[in-house]
Formats: sequence, C-alpha cells, structure tokens
Amino acid sequence: MLNTPNFTLAEFMTVVPAAVLIVGAIVLMLSEVFLSTANRTYMAVVGLVASAVAGLFALNNAFEPARLVLQGFAVLDPFSSFMTVMVCLGTGLACLLASGFLKHRNAERGEFYALMLFAAAGMSLLAASNEFITLFINLEVLSVATYALTAFLRRGPRPAEAGFKYFILGAFAAALLLYGAALLYGATGTTRLSDLATALPGAMATRSGLVYAGFGLVLAGFAFKVAAVPFHMWTPDVYEGAPTPVTALMSVGVKAAAFVALVRTFLALTHGLDPQVPFALFSLLALLTMVAGNLLAMPQRNVKRMLAYSSIAHAGYLLLGVTALFVPPSAKAGDAGGVLAATPLLAAGAVNASVYKGILFYLLGYTVTSIGAFGTLAAIERREDETRGNTWDLERLSGLAQRQPGWAAAMAAFMLSLAGVPPTVGFLGKLFLFSAAVDAGLIWLAVVGVLSSVAGTYYYLRVVVYMFMRPAPADAPAPFRHWTTEVALVASAIATVALGIVPGPVAEWLSRAGMVFGN
Amino acid sequence: MPVVPTVNYLILAAALFCVGMLGVLIRRNALVVFMCIELMLNAANLTFLAFARERGDVTGHISPFFIIAVAAAEAAVGLAIVISVFRNRGTVNIEEIQSMKH
Repeated sequence: MLNTPNFTLAEFMTVVPAAVLIVGAIVLMLSEVFLSTANRTYMAVVGLVASAVAGLFALNNAFEPARLVLQGFAVLDPFSSFMTVMVCLGTGLACLLASGFLKHRNAERGEFYALMLFAAAGMSLLAASNEFITLFINLEVLSVATYALTAFLRRGPRPAEAGFKYFILGAFAAALLLYGAALLYGATGTTRLSDLATALPGAMATRSGLVYAGFGLVLAGFAFKVAAVPFHMWTPDVYEGAPTPVTALMSVGVKAAAFVALVRTFLALTHGLDPQVPFALFSLLALLTMVAGNLLAMPQRNVKRMLAYSSIAHAGYLLLGVTALFVPPSAKAGDAGGVLAATPLLAAGAVNASVYKGILFYLLGYTVTSIGAFGTLAAIERREDETRGNTWDLERLSGLAQRQPGWAAAMAAFMLSLAGVPPTVGFLGKLFLFSAAVDAGLIWLAVVGVLSSVAGTYYYLRVVVYMFMRPAPADAPAPFRHWTTEVALVASAIATVALGIVPGPVAEWLSRAGMVFGN
Repeated sequence: MPVVPTVNYLILAAALFCVGMLGVLIRRNALVVFMCIELMLNAANLTFLAFARERGDVTGHISPFFIIAVAAAEAAVGLAIVISVFRNRGTVNIEEIQSMKH
C-alpha cells in the first residue's frame, strides 16, 4: 500500500522562488546550445529577469504567516523569505556584473549564468530547509555550483587552484555536518529540526555524549561555510582566485544562506542543552572572527584579498547577532540590571525580534555594498595583469577619481558603508545589530565589535585615500566599459546610500522577520 | 545466528570518519584527500544505517541514498577541478598548489 502524503497547493509556495530560478537556468542552458549568436548579453538579462521574478515571489511569501510546510521538511516564514529576496537581489546584480567581466575575457557562456541561478536556487531552499538531509542536499546544490563557478575561467592557474581549495574544504565541512547530523539522528531518532527540538531534552538524559558530539560537528561544518575564525583559512585564497563576480556572489549569497540555516538549526539544537554551552561557543566564535578578520585585513595591499578578510570580519558581526539569540536567561537579567540599569529591560521575545531584524538588515546592507565593492574591482581589473599577480594592488586604484570619477565615488560609498560610516546602509546595519546585542545583554562583546570595526576603518579609508589623493599613473589603461556593469554599480551605489538615509519601509518589513518558525 | 550490536557498527563508522579526517589533514595527494572525504561521507552513511536498524526507522534507511547521489554529483565536479589543476600545473600535490600566499 502506498502512503501518499496530501499536500495543498499553498504548501509549495516556499519552493516557487527556487523553481523560477531553476527554470531560468534551464532556459539559459538550452539557449546556449540552440541560439548561436555572438552577443550573449541577453543571457545576463535572462538571469536578471529570473532573479527578479523569483525575488518578487519570495517577497510575496514574506508576508505569509510562519508555518511548517511539506510535512515539516521545510518552513515558510518571513526570515527565510526575506533571505531569498536578498539572494535574488545579489544574484541579479552579479549576473549584470558578470556580463561585462566575461565579455572582456571572451568567456561569456550560458552555463555560467545557469550555474549562478542553480546556486541561488540552492541558497533559497537552504534557507527554508527544516530537515537535515534536505539541508545537506541544498547546501551541496549551492556548493557544487559555486565550486564550478570558482574554477570557471580556465586561463591561468589561479581559478583552478581556488576552485580546488574551495572544493576540498567545502566537501570536508559538508562531511563534518553530515556526520554530526547522523549522530543527532542516533540520539533522537529524527532528522526534522522541529522534532529534534522536542526530542532533545529526552535524549540528553540517555545519550548526552552523542548529542554533544553531533552539536559540535554540525557547528564546525557551519563555521566553515560562514568562514568563522578558526575555520576561515580557505576564504582569502578562494575569494582572490575566483572570477570577481563569483566572489561577489559568494560573499553575499552563500554566506547569507548559511547564516539563516545556522540560526534555524541551532534554535532547534539548543533545546535541552545547558544554555551556557552554545552561548560560550558562539561568543568565542564571534569574538575571534571579529578581531582576527579585521587584524588580518589590515596589512593587505591586495584589495580583493583585503575584501575577503573584511568579509570574515563582517561574518563576525553577524555571529555577534547570532550570539544574542543564545544568551542564557540568567546572564541577560544580570547584565541588563547591573550595567544597563537606565535602559528599560526588553522582554526576551522583543530582543529576539530586534536581533532577527538586525541580522537581516545587516545582510541586506552587506549584499548591496559587497556586490558594489567587488563589482568596482571587477570593472577596473585588467585581463593583461592576471599572470603578474598584482591585478588588485592598491596602486591600481590610485587616481581613480580623475580617471573615472563616477566609479571612484561609488567605490568610496561602498568603502564607507563597509566601514560603517553614516549616511550609508552599513552604518545602520551595524547600529541595528549592535544595539540588539546590547539589549540582549552582550555589552562587552558589542564593545569589542565596535572597537574592531573602528580599527577596520583604517584599511577601508586607505582605499579611498588612494583613489582621491594619489596621482593617476601615466600608463593607466582605459577601463573596459559595459552597460550592464554600470547599471549594477549604479543600482548598488544608490541602494547603499538610499537605504542608509531612508531605511523606513525596508526596516519596517524586516521587523516581521521576528516570525521565525518554532521560536 | 548472533545479532551484531549497534555499537560495533558505530565504532567502525567512527574509525572510518577519523581515518578520513586525518587523511584530509595529512595526506598531500589531491586524489587521496578526495577519497578521504568520500570515506567521511560513508562513515555518516553507516551511522545513519546502524541507528535506523536499531530503531526500525525508515528515515535513516533512505538518507544514505540521497547522500550517495549527492556525493556522486560532487565527485563529478571535484574530479573535473582536479583535472583542470593537473592541466595547469602537471601535479596534484597539494603543497605545490600554493601560488596565492601573501
């Protein structure tokens, strides 16, 4: 007898954005085979349209009430839907950036955009996964697509080397996560996160060793994916070697999706555990990642590598937000009473809602800023420099304000936003995130975060100094201009500044993200 | 016939996982490292199956099928990348694949 589950049509809403992205990817692959035209700019437009349609579906989902769908294998909640919107935004902009970049290198092919859309579909589904095997499959869908994208350019040794490192460490991390999931399955008899949350307190009594081992392995797997120190070694090499539009997509999409999956997983896994354990682990990861990311970025003269380390630092700030979700009840009451006596103590629910909003707004700000920063680098890097290894040296940016005033202004906005200087979206993101952390009682960790981000200002402003205060070298080559690149840069520059001045409606929407299923 | 207790399977799986993890961290040949990762995935498969058998639960029996399929897809892309590294450098020794140190 076959036991077929009864699904209602509304349950499939959670997978519609991913389905749209996959259809777009298939169209691109078919058009690569059957449409023989030399000009492939239309492919970037197809990628942009698919991302935009998927993003609109996801935005529609974001106003649905949070609930379990598809027999508890997935969730439909504002948190994951907003993440999908950001992934679609990032993918659309990265497609536009890729068009000019690939054209300059005679490497524009349909499969590049198709892989980007497949990766985006994986990210969208990863954010909605509520079961370990589903989570693992979606993690691999996005990872396998990004491995291939990283090694896409076959000229020169770097892309292959970066793809290789990414592949080995990514597969290693996935295996750690999977073995952890298997141990948790052994302890509780389920792989669904919502059932795990109910079964864990009972399992702690009988098989606490399995639970702790599984918890640690899953955490290590996720820490690799979000590039938290000390699991960050792959990041600079992979970010440097990958084609710059792919680096942009990796720094925003992969990381954002992994963060949402991490939050969802650990909200379930911390049930029944001693609350001090996850709190201590996340505090330590956040502290190390914030400080080490900023310190390692400082000596870098290679701007692309500097941005890679800076993305580690930004993962640290996000981990600070994640830590705020796992503050044990006693510490919260104690700190807020002692140090913040003047601040009215918010209820735990209100704190969590502001933390989710902080995390999402920060991810949104980082998405537009990082796409813009890597996009400007992609626009000014010269194919001829690739073999010499100084493609992204600071000197390449000197005098950009005279050569390309528009690009220099945009890059300055992105750098200020990354540094967290008002009136940019990076400042507001940090403000929301750090104030949510302080409300949760993480005062010292938030202080370390602010201090390390002040230290980070040094290497961001150095880029601005080179662009505006150094003379342009006499032999500065003319940049390769392409309308899609300019559109992407203008769009992200406007978003970076506009969201920093009037965050109003967007921040209002993101407040709904407090509706995370199971919380 | 005596039934093999679950813990024996778990010890075997844990041993496979540790061998795989040490291999990834120590070995220098890219293909061997790659095989070690497969070993880790199979340790997870064995763990799922051992617990599924103990509990008589079907979820754990199905999981390895998905994991094997995903591992196959990953192997296809991974081997392609290894070939592209070999074409570029004529070696798959990890210590020689280090052109981006600063």
